[in-house]
Amino acid sequence: MNTEEIQSTINTTITMPPPVPVTANTVIKATDLRKIYNGVAVLNIPEITIKNGESFGLVGNNGAGKTTFFRLILDLIEASSGEVRIDGEKVARHDDWKAKVGSFLDESFLIDFLTPEEYFNFTGKVYGKSVGDITAFLESMKEFFNGEILGSKKLIRDLSKGNQKKTGIAAALLSDPQILILDEPFTALDPTSQIRLKRMLNELKIKKNMTMLISSHDLNHVTEVCDRIVVLEKGLVVRDIHTTEDTLKELESYFAV
Amino acid sequence: MYTQFFKHHWLKSVRAPGYYKNLIVNIFMGLSILYFLVIFVLMGFMLPKILAEAAPQLDPALTFNGAMFFVIVLALLIRFLFQPLSTINLQSYQVLPIKRSKLVNYLLLKPLLNPANYLTLSFAIPFAITGINPSYGIGGAFQFILIVIFLIWFNTLFAIFLKRKFGSNILGIIVFLAIIAGLVALEYFKIYSIFDMSQRVFGFLIENPIGLLVVMGLSAVAFVLNKWFFAQNYYPESFDKKVAKKQQAETQNFSFMERFGKIGEIISLEMKLALRHKRTKNVLYTAALFLLYGLLFYPNDMYKENDAMLMLVAIFVTGIGMILFGQWIINWEGSYFDFLMTRNIDTQSYIKANYFLLLSLSIVSFILTTPYFLFGTDILINHSVAFLYNVGVNIHVYLFGATFNTKRLELSKGSAMNMQGVSYKNFIVIIPLLIVPMGLIGIFSLFGAKNIALIILAVLGLAGIIFWKQLLEITEKQFLRRKYALCEGFRKKE
Repeated sequence: MNTEEIQSTINTTITMPPPVPVTANTVIKATDLRKIYNGVAVLNIPEITIKNGESFGLVGNNGAGKTTFFRLILDLIEASSGEVRIDGEKVARHDDWKAKVGSFLDESFLIDFLTPEEYFNFTGKVYGKSVGDITAFLESMKEFFNGEILGSKKLIRDLSKGNQKKTGIAAALLSDPQILILDEPFTALDPTSQIRLKRMLNELKIKKNMTMLISSHDLNHVTEVCDRIVVLEKGLVVRDIHTTEDTLKELESYFAV
Repeated sequence: MYTQFFKHHWLKSVRAPGYYKNLIVNIFMGLSILYFLVIFVLMGFMLPKILAEAAPQLDPALTFNGAMFFVIVLALLIRFLFQPLSTINLQSYQVLPIKRSKLVNYLLLKPLLNPANYLTLSFAIPFAITGINPSYGIGGAFQFILIVIFLIWFNTLFAIFLKRKFGSNILGIIVFLAIIAGLVALEYFKIYSIFDMSQRVFGFLIENPIGLLVVMGLSAVAFVLNKWFFAQNYYPESFDKKVAKKQQAETQNFSFMERFGKIGEIISLEMKLALRHKRTKNVLYTAALFLLYGLLFYPNDMYKENDAMLMLVAIFVTGIGMILFGQWIINWEGSYFDFLMTRNIDTQSYIKANYFLLLSLSIVSFILTTPYFLFGTDILINHSVAFLYNVGVNIHVYLFGATFNTKRLELSKGSAMNMQGVSYKNFIVIIPLLIVPMGLIGIFSLFGAKNIALIILAVLGLAGIIFWKQLLEITEKQFLRRKYALCEGFRKKE
């Protein structure tokens, strides 16, 4: 590289806008969303919008409707009324949104008779990734995997719960999604992995401006990762807060009944 | 203690969700068992006559004794392939103060109490009356029945031992088949007659009281072999070690499929699904056995005129792979269905992948059954029409029907009579699949116009092949309508 080239690189670096422009477009919008099981409304959200690049934390006790909400966004259950739109397009019975969303809710997102490598390969190929892309991605996950997942030739069903979870989270990230949906990603992970996951999510937020929807029972983790926290109770949104230093205390006092 | 174990086992099966829901399936199973029972009893009574006709120079009892050895080896093979290993949730009992020999005895004795194992008696008892009694007297007949019981015990225990020791992998089956082929070759080339040996041995067993002791000893040996195996592999981890070793060897690659893009990826995934689960592997073996099904009918003059029956056989044989796996299509992916539905896989590709899988299974079955053409032009025409009907109509019926089957299929437990995840809907699908072509042929051949029925079936099949895209679109819409019901059904574990 000659001096001129170096100069030009420096110039472009300086004049370049931030890697991903932070726009405040709505990416997910739910209107009049209701899910009723046997006459009981397990979820009832008149309106909620999630903006591009927002990290959205969902907390609530068991049965509050967190997973139901995620499943409605992912079109895995049918809404009793209302709709979810991603980028203005209806989710229900459509396929277009699938290319933009990475998700991991539970073990039914794993193909347990494959080895992790085969599973990542399948997932990657479905998103049109090349073998090189997939290898590069797995390389970047090395720290998170802690040397336990790749190369062991074990099938996913023989992995420990924690390693299964890591495999699922990684597969959700593999497609480089615009929106990431994780249901209780921290449970079953060991302390080191929890910290690494938090760091990873925060990096993705800054570097790629990824929109994240994360539910958790651990108030500490969720306040550390998310800018916005929504509390669900019996299917209703009871709090919708922008995370500040006092948020954790506020949440703790809310749940300390 | 043993009664407690059996009680737990009973509770486990009764409290399994879906036990009562599956009532129709159970009734169907019951009826088919009854059917076989009647056939066996009749066969038992008829057999002496048949044997006398087949080998007029020999006493029926002697002919039967000669064949006995082959029957036992064959039964052992079938048990080796299909008999499930009885299990008990060892870990939860191991921590309790229960003697381990008790646990092991329970595990070993459980299958001996399974009534299905004694189905053979429904054949053996009538034969003892009509075949053994004339030659050996009443005492001999009783001894014969007892010998059969002990041999059932021996076979059951020995098959379990072989299965535990060697695992039911392809290699084991090949070794087994090689041994059988060797025995047949010895007989055929007149090097050593197993038939004569078997005749002498079983004649001796039935005539002498010591015979009883010998077979008793045999089942005792099989029991001790099992005990010895458990003494060495008691802890679950030693089982795991074996499993882990197996897994490494088993990860095949279907990269040739992956050239076909997303659809190829899905098909290659489904092929792995089929080859890495016990239950699906059992179906593969079953399919291979059923390829020979035509041999029961085609050489037999009795069925020459029965056009409807021949059509049924043709459809069944030329489509065996598709017919057996088609009943599971979509719901065999229940355990990761949420994953498939949230990935970048459009509904069209998903349905198409399943279509191509069933299509290739049909083609393979058809090619494998081409040797049947040697039985004549009629069979050739029948098979070709059946193939067209299978590809054009039956595949679409299966795909459309699959959207109604919302039961999650548990594939890791394999056994011949495993009806988990099967509902009455699986039987309804049989109507268009087998009954319609059979009925058409049957009705038309009453008026001597079998060919018209053949043409109708061929045209239906061709139409289905020409309009495959349109038909898949219908299935696609139906799939989207049923998507949520499928998702919800598959999330329920049984």
